[in-house]
Amino acid sequence: MKRVLIYFDHEQIENSLELIGVAARIYPQDECIIDALNTSNKNEDLVDKVNTIMNCTLDAYDYINITTLIKELHAKYHYQCILFPSSKHGRIIAPRVAMRLHLGLVADITDIQINNGKLEIIRPAYGGKIMASIECIKDTLMMSVRQNVFKVNAYPIRTSKIENIEVMDYRPNPIKLVSKVEKKDLVQDIRQSEILVSGGYGIVENFNQIYELAGLLNAHVSASRKIVDHGVASRKIQVGQSGKTVSPKLYIALGISGSTQHIEGLRNIETIISVNTSEYAPLNSIADVVVLGDALDFTHRLIDKINKERKG
Amino acid sequence: MKLICLVKFVPDVDNFKYDFEKNVLIRENTDLVLNPDDAKAIAFALKMKALNPEIIVEILSMGPKNVAAKLEDLLRLKIDKATLISDSMYVGSDTYVTSQILAKHINSLEYDCILTGTHSLDGDTAHVPSQIAELLSLVQLSNVVEVNHFSQKRFNVCVDSENFIETYEVSLPIVLSFSKESKLKLPYIKFEDIDRDVQDKLHVIDNTILNFDKKNVGLEGSLTKVMRSFVKQFTKKEKLIIQCDEEGVSSVYRFLKHLGYIK
Repeated sequence: MKRVLIYFDHEQIENSLELIGVAARIYPQDECIIDALNTSNKNEDLVDKVNTIMNCTLDAYDYINITTLIKELHAKYHYQCILFPSSKHGRIIAPRVAMRLHLGLVADITDIQINNGKLEIIRPAYGGKIMASIECIKDTLMMSVRQNVFKVNAYPIRTSKIENIEVMDYRPNPIKLVSKVEKKDLVQDIRQSEILVSGGYGIVENFNQIYELAGLLNAHVSASRKIVDHGVASRKIQVGQSGKTVSPKLYIALGISGSTQHIEGLRNIETIISVNTSEYAPLNSIADVVVLGDALDFTHRLIDKINKERKG
Repeated sequence: MKLICLVKFVPDVDNFKYDFEKNVLIRENTDLVLNPDDAKAIAFALKMKALNPEIIVEILSMGPKNVAAKLEDLLRLKIDKATLISDSMYVGSDTYVTSQILAKHINSLEYDCILTGTHSLDGDTAHVPSQIAELLSLVQLSNVVEVNHFSQKRFNVCVDSENFIETYEVSLPIVLSFSKESKLKLPYIKFEDIDRDVQDKLHVIDNTILNFDKKNVGLEGSLTKVMRSFVKQFTKKEKLIIQCDEEGVSSVYRFLKHLGYIK
């Protein structure tokens, strides 16, 4: 029987549950026990999805003690695999645990493949320009997992046992969270959007005009890396390896050529419309509809068409 | 007070070169840029030094010998000392090994705070700052955008956490990893300093000083290995190709209406 530990980040519930999907890609369900380490005390999202819910009362930012706790759990259960979400906390705790346990860690993985019986862990590298297949040479696999890539609830329901656990070698945390203020310029999380109207370098001079089209389609606006690097759009709405992985039903790409790093950020999209002056833009190869022409011209024409039909 | 800035010079991701046979990045003779997040760490250190000239700022980097010239430019910004760790034995080290090498050198230094970037443009794992903190038994915070109310031993640190700005009260020593979203700016080199000789402040050290066993560093010592690398191929699918004219836009309109996106 294989034993997997997942780190449940209650600030990133979906992403944490996707870790079960990663385990399911590596181990058959009847050969795998899943333990979830939960620092919140809220169990409802984990109940009947993992075998054991291990509750502890540490702050999510008590990184040293959480690392110690995972070390203590590993000494007891000898995990074959330890998984973290690529969340704010996960990305800090995972490397610490890897160092403490002397294990290799693969960051921000986007795929698992088994070739000739050998496990390959896939992640994009160098800004998503190439994909790398990584091997961990120790017996325990450690990975942090890219958000919004793997399936949630990949295993059928399992009855969860709940345990309260404590760190034995506790050290007082020298940092304290004193305030948490919501940002004023809060933007929609594009990972949750059903329709995205996305702008690329082909519309850099007139990026703001795509908001009108997005409004007419009840869509949200996203952008490519080049647009963000030009300071035209916020990094929060950037699609791609260095931005976010999105899964809308409809993705309208306006003037986006579609580098590998951009296409890496598109998952399970039902329909892609790509507007580009070049027929050979890489994004066109995965599009359902390709419109050959200027992105701004298309934006204006489609806005006019929708308005005209509504009035008519 | 002494601040150590860990910086990395990275290949410009738009112009990188990769050795697909050895699965390592070609770092020699490629144009390297200061990693943007790391520039914010130096900007903060220099801001502190401007407020209190007694603060000592030291830069530590690891990479090929050609990084030395880049470090000289940083030294012209009134930084007190720069050290480059460079040895052909370290080529191909993964984050686990890189952190061990850097931490071993830092252990021989005195410091109050270690400043780094959060992400690097090339690897983008964000492992090294957390792993160095782990090896030094220090707390580390990522995505730092601002540090306020500094006293001799306490900071208030603002962290960009997607939808929130979180403020932490921390005591030194600590590892703080800045985000490129920070508003701090690296100053330009003053005109009179452009050609200033800074050789006496630049130190290059190799494995004769750090004394690692060959089997514990480089590709051999790494706990993760790149098995293969590839450019992702996308399968072509059936598609409709239309022109951006009245007829074309009408087809897109009908298509969106048919799928229910236009009510």
